[in-house]
Amino acid sequence: MIDPYYLQQLAIGLSLGMTYALMAIGFTLIFGVLNVVNFAHGEIYTLGAFAGLVLISAVAPPIVAVIFGALAVGALAGFSLERLAFKPFRRFTDEASLKSRAMRESTLLSSLAVSIVVREALEILFGSEMRSLPFDYLINTPVRIGPVILVTGDFIIFGVAAAMLIGLQYLLTRTRIGLAIRAVSNNPLGAKYVGIDTDRTIITTFVVGSMMGAAAGILMGLYYGAIFPAMGFVPGIKAFVAMVMGGLSSIPGAVVCALILGVAESMATTFVSSGWSDMVAYAFLILTLIFFPNGLFGARRERV
Amino acid sequence: MNAFEGTLSKESGGRRWLVPALLALLVFGALPALLAGFDRGYFYQIANLALIFVLLSASMHLVTGVAGLLHLGHAAFYGVGAYTAALLTSKLGLGFTVTLPLSGVVAALLAFLVALPTMRLVSIYFAVATLAIGQMLYLVMLNWVDFTKGPNGIIVTKGFELFGVALSGRLASYYTVAVVVVLCVVAIGRLSHSYYGNALRSIREDDQCADAMGVRTVRLKMEVFTLSAFFAGVAGALWAHMTGYISPGDFKFSESILILAMVVVGGLGSLPGAIIGALLLILLPEGLRALGDFRNVMVGLVMFLSILLLPKGLLGEVSALRLVRRQLGGAWRSTGKGEGIGWR
Repeated sequence: MIDPYYLQQLAIGLSLGMTYALMAIGFTLIFGVLNVVNFAHGEIYTLGAFAGLVLISAVAPPIVAVIFGALAVGALAGFSLERLAFKPFRRFTDEASLKSRAMRESTLLSSLAVSIVVREALEILFGSEMRSLPFDYLINTPVRIGPVILVTGDFIIFGVAAAMLIGLQYLLTRTRIGLAIRAVSNNPLGAKYVGIDTDRTIITTFVVGSMMGAAAGILMGLYYGAIFPAMGFVPGIKAFVAMVMGGLSSIPGAVVCALILGVAESMATTFVSSGWSDMVAYAFLILTLIFFPNGLFGARRERV
Repeated sequence: MNAFEGTLSKESGGRRWLVPALLALLVFGALPALLAGFDRGYFYQIANLALIFVLLSASMHLVTGVAGLLHLGHAAFYGVGAYTAALLTSKLGLGFTVTLPLSGVVAALLAFLVALPTMRLVSIYFAVATLAIGQMLYLVMLNWVDFTKGPNGIIVTKGFELFGVALSGRLASYYTVAVVVVLCVVAIGRLSHSYYGNALRSIREDDQCADAMGVRTVRLKMEVFTLSAFFAGVAGALWAHMTGYISPGDFKFSESILILAMVVVGGLGSLPGAIIGALLLILLPEGLRALGDFRNVMVGLVMFLSILLLPKGLLGEVSALRLVRRQLGGAWRSTGKGEGIGWR
């Protein structure tokens, strides 16, 4: 018989992993297509949460409407992010500049710059301290299953993450736009030659990925009950770690690794103080990069 | 110097001493005179801070600009230097003369250990690895309460001194920081404009090709990573002794990004650009103090606009190289056209 304490830690770890997975899905989608890292994804997540806060404090709609509001904000944010930080650096479409490191690194830096601006602007607007969400909206009513205590939010997050994953797999493999996304991801120049509107495909990818990021943000806000402008940073890094561990372009791989990460972190708090638990993620990242440079589930890459 | 003969006046050689002399006059003469004229502690603080960030930006320039390794954890090595200085002072009672080189050495040693496993990684993978390492070091500073006092930070009781002679007072501390920073920046300048720097540039452009041509890429990368950590550690020691108080918050990820922004704004691969970038991003927010909370937004905006509108930076690499060769070309081996290719 396993000690109930470890079962509880396992449950906490799985729910933590789910929250990382929520974020990692959107992150991986954008990376897989554009081959660029979007450092502003954490800010999309924060924007989603703050959009929810503004909606709740302004009109107090039902919770489903709050989530749809956050989704709309996420879509808008993703669109503007792509136009601002990524489009200007796709000036040239020849093969050399598509593969060039300069282009990849300039978008990395520009998304970083945009994320700084967004975070600081949010701090000016809302102040840098924690803002609590109204109690009625929170999704942390305890539920007891055998020896383990979970909260309703765990199930909601699990449901949403599963729905996202399945929806995304459907979108990518069964629809025309998914086909276009996969084509651009495989070979942007080739996709252009066969008549795919690569620009539109990239925007679609950003919008879908950012909607998922924003949904993750508002769900996390409702789950923990508190939001603040810098809230996107740590989950952003965790999502990043999950993505790298999963092999950069594999979405199911990222989800599995997010779960592994969550469980590892919650198990680690058994042995060390919680301040150190973040160390687990970074150690995993370094170990993956050194020993499994292709990720645990990724396709082979030429160079890492 | 045969500049006195007047025959070299058309060539670059005649003015070789002029620009360095003017710069030295500015840093060691005009600026301290101005500071002493105003005599406000705040201005001294800003000047010292700007100088320390010039050193940080220059060391980042070496690894990111010249060698092309995107380093997202530079502030952590700066922090390691600062903590080394602070701990050596508070636990062993050592003075600045000892802590300054030791901070650099400890940071460099740590960087060497980090570089051993990570140097095989390229481009974004390397960037992610340095981000993780920076965050790990930050977590150690934050959570190892017994040793680093955690979030409370450490009070550094000793100011600047040289072999036991205290260099107290605002002007003396300015001169200490300025001398150390100028020496380090000159060293970085010699490194990045030498054959050594050219080898690093070849790695940045195409490391596989450079490898095939016989450049020892991995070894060079490790050397430059370690060297840049050394200079960051020295900057950390300066910071610890200057402010008298350090806490983990000074060395978090956003500081790494600030240093990166300095190099990017100034122009990747250009040392004068890195210096200008550091001065701009330190002095601009201070100058914009009236804007209050908007200062940090300005940093982000400056970074974004410079990537968008000035992809080569304020002073791009090519023009910076030309400038350095014309104005500071101390020991160039001429190729016959008056343009050398580097210090030996």
